[in-house]
Amino acid sequence: MYLKLALQNVKRSAKDYVIYFITIVLIVMLMYSFLALGFSTDITSMSENMSILTTGITALSVVATLISSFIVSYAVRFILGQRKKEFAAYELLGMEIGSIQKLFLIENTVIGTAAFLSGISLGTVLAGILTQLVKNIFDVPHSYHASFSKQALVLTILFFILMYGTGMVRAVHIIRREKIVDLLYDSRKNEVISKQKRSSLQLVLVICSVAAVITGMVLIRKGLSIQTNTAWSYLIGSTALLLAGVYEIYRCFPVMLITFAKRKKRILYSKCNLFYFGQIGHRIQSCGRVMAITAILFTLSLAAMFIGLVMGAGYKANMKASYPYDTGVAIDAPLTRNSFDGLISFVDEKCPVQKEMIYYLYDANGYSADALALSDYNTLRSILGFKKTELPNGQYLVHCDTWTYTEDIKAAMKTRPKITLAGVTLENPQGRIYEEAMEQYRMAGTNGYVLVVPDHVAQKLPANKIRLVMQLENGGIPELRSEIRGYLHSEQWHPELQAGTIWPDHVTMGVTVQAWGISNSLTGFTSISFCGLYLSIIFILLSCTVLAFEQLSALDHNRRSYQSLGRIGVSEEMQRKLIHRELSTFFLIPLILPAVVIFVLMAGAQTLYGAYILQKGLIPFYGFITISVFAMIYFVYYEAAYSLFKRNIL
Amino acid sequence: MNEILKLDHIQKYYGNQGNLTKAVHDISFSVNEGEFVAIMGASGSGKTTLLNCISTIDTVSAGHIFLDGTDVTEIRNQALARFRRENLGFVFQDFNLLDTLTVSENIALALTINHTPAEQVDAKVLEIAQTLSITDILDKYPYQVSGGQKQRCACARAIINKPKLLLADEPTGSLDSHSAQMLLRTMQSINEQSGATILMVTHDAFSASYAGRILFLRDGRIFTEILKGSDSRKAFFEKIIDVLTMLGGGAGDVS
Repeated sequence: MYLKLALQNVKRSAKDYVIYFITIVLIVMLMYSFLALGFSTDITSMSENMSILTTGITALSVVATLISSFIVSYAVRFILGQRKKEFAAYELLGMEIGSIQKLFLIENTVIGTAAFLSGISLGTVLAGILTQLVKNIFDVPHSYHASFSKQALVLTILFFILMYGTGMVRAVHIIRREKIVDLLYDSRKNEVISKQKRSSLQLVLVICSVAAVITGMVLIRKGLSIQTNTAWSYLIGSTALLLAGVYEIYRCFPVMLITFAKRKKRILYSKCNLFYFGQIGHRIQSCGRVMAITAILFTLSLAAMFIGLVMGAGYKANMKASYPYDTGVAIDAPLTRNSFDGLISFVDEKCPVQKEMIYYLYDANGYSADALALSDYNTLRSILGFKKTELPNGQYLVHCDTWTYTEDIKAAMKTRPKITLAGVTLENPQGRIYEEAMEQYRMAGTNGYVLVVPDHVAQKLPANKIRLVMQLENGGIPELRSEIRGYLHSEQWHPELQAGTIWPDHVTMGVTVQAWGISNSLTGFTSISFCGLYLSIIFILLSCTVLAFEQLSALDHNRRSYQSLGRIGVSEEMQRKLIHRELSTFFLIPLILPAVVIFVLMAGAQTLYGAYILQKGLIPFYGFITISVFAMIYFVYYEAAYSLFKRNIL
Repeated sequence: MNEILKLDHIQKYYGNQGNLTKAVHDISFSVNEGEFVAIMGASGSGKTTLLNCISTIDTVSAGHIFLDGTDVTEIRNQALARFRRENLGFVFQDFNLLDTLTVSENIALALTINHTPAEQVDAKVLEIAQTLSITDILDKYPYQVSGGQKQRCACARAIINKPKLLLADEPTGSLDSHSAQMLLRTMQSINEQSGATILMVTHDAFSASYAGRILFLRDGRIFTEILKGSDSRKAFFEKIIDVLTMLGGGAGDVS
């Protein structure tokens, strides 16, 4: 009997459940599809570090479950609010509280199961698309097929029970707590309008908030320039100031704007503006806090999505620059060139070596940098396809492709325009700093930059570090990295010291293999991008749900207001326009901050890092993708809230 | 005097052929400009349905309603709202004020939707507030004032556009006796001093005694009509009680 009644109730209250249902479906869909991606053997077998993606997505799913459980509770509170009179009627008929709770639970189990199954079905489709996307990133041949994963299903069920269960426990608690009289007469309660702060106080608060935001930004800048742990204090302090500032601006600024608009009688007394300002003013006062929090959440989500996508894609675009040679071996010890003979033969057996080059990094005593002979430098440039360079007599140049050091190097060259190496004084009158990607960290210097000097100067300096670069047939294989490392640590390798030198206390060895680097960097790219995307979309979904329910929770009050408006002669068409305007404003206010931040972020990223990302237009492209994904989700929620609102009121 | 309202064989049915409820059954009457008419009757007699039809909130099943010569039953749906705001004023039992606006803004809203120039709004609001003695609560929100004050605010909103007809549906229904008396005096003075035409629906004899003419409804038909004429309000009140006694049924109706 309860099942029949519950099914009828679900059918009858379908409109109240629409947004709730959409949210649950979308969360389950995202959770399942991303988990399926993380657990897919096709994906995890692509590179040895791919388990990062699995761990990241599972951890984020736990976070998403916890936050979603709050939202389910929130949604349940709204639905209960809409059905108070119905529950009062059951109680008046003599139905026990336990039975009402049972009825509500059956209804929600029906809805939850339907939403879960829909979410899993859509998730299976989405997982297939995501898998294709990842395979495309890794340049692996692929064709679309829906992706089903048992592990992902089990975890999604577990997370869903946690998320949904919390909401149901809360619902049961609310039903038990309510008295019949409150249930019956809830809609007749007076509308409580919180007291509005004085305009002068609001102005002071806005000024203080703006000051807090500016101070926060200054502290962030300061924090980012500090290399010690003190930076954390700055960053935590600035984040707190920024959040508090933004929150308070959100609470006061719209109220101030409305107060200002209300003083302009021409605006206020035009058509139905009085009504519109009254509605919006009231909404801001009653849910300014929610608007502020959703604005902050939207900002964080958009920033996370944008940064995740740009970092990932930028990483991919710059990857080849990080691994310019097929294979490179760096050993910080004064070894002879013959020391690499065995290694070259060893590599040649695995992957035929087309070309090899052995060179030294010389000790530029007193300049905290290594020196590289011009001839070696030019050979490296020709391997990478760069034009050879020349050094006029008595001159040197700097190669530094790590842009963070460039300014410091320029400053150092200004204070010490001449350097003396092995008794020869050199200068760099044009301030030449070459910035092509040569991965000189380890391969062309140990400090991120190198001094390129004439050969005759270099040869007089101690050759303390040796380097080997190999070009391989078909570019080599990822496994080569561990094999080379294994060889260098085995008894097979017999390094020889140069005459008159001794082994240093610590020998640093480095092996780079482009094939390994690319596959593992792609893992980083995929993990950063997909985790960022996953968390951001979940946050956007949940924030949209809160916003929609917050507006719909005032349905009773709004129904009365619009009814009064109709009675005093406002046409239905005008009322429809007013509803549209009210809802648009309500959904627009939380968008102001994220809109400003995302455009500032895009402009800032383009100005600061645009030149260093080798693929042109990457930042605007991912900015557009971020905004589009957000706009799509936002529009769905706006439309759902609008149609529900309109249907309930007109 | 001009005939401002004329009802011509109004009928209003609910339901379908198998289950037809006749809420209003062939009612005709007219109201002259400046009259204060009350409609009385027991619950279910059709008085509110009749008021809803006159106010264009509901449609008639048959018959015609003329307001100042215009047949309101022929007005297209899209034009009804405009007709309402230009010709009618409403006072409801539950006040129908907007919680989000102050008393002053509630009154001003009626002016702004009627396209009153912005510079005239404040002065008009103040003028009507003085007439209804609500100047001291103009900046308060409805939830901050008493029921009587709310209803006077509703009255102010209803008459500020000088409607051809003021319709009141149980205006004292939610008020205590003191507030009810104050409101009725206000309505009477609006009628006498401003010449406003008022049609009030009530089931309360005391409220009806402030009117100049009363129509009694029973089962959707006009049962009788009484005029105050030169009677005192007390004498008129007693007449109303007599009619109500008759209307309520005699011993013969008890089987």
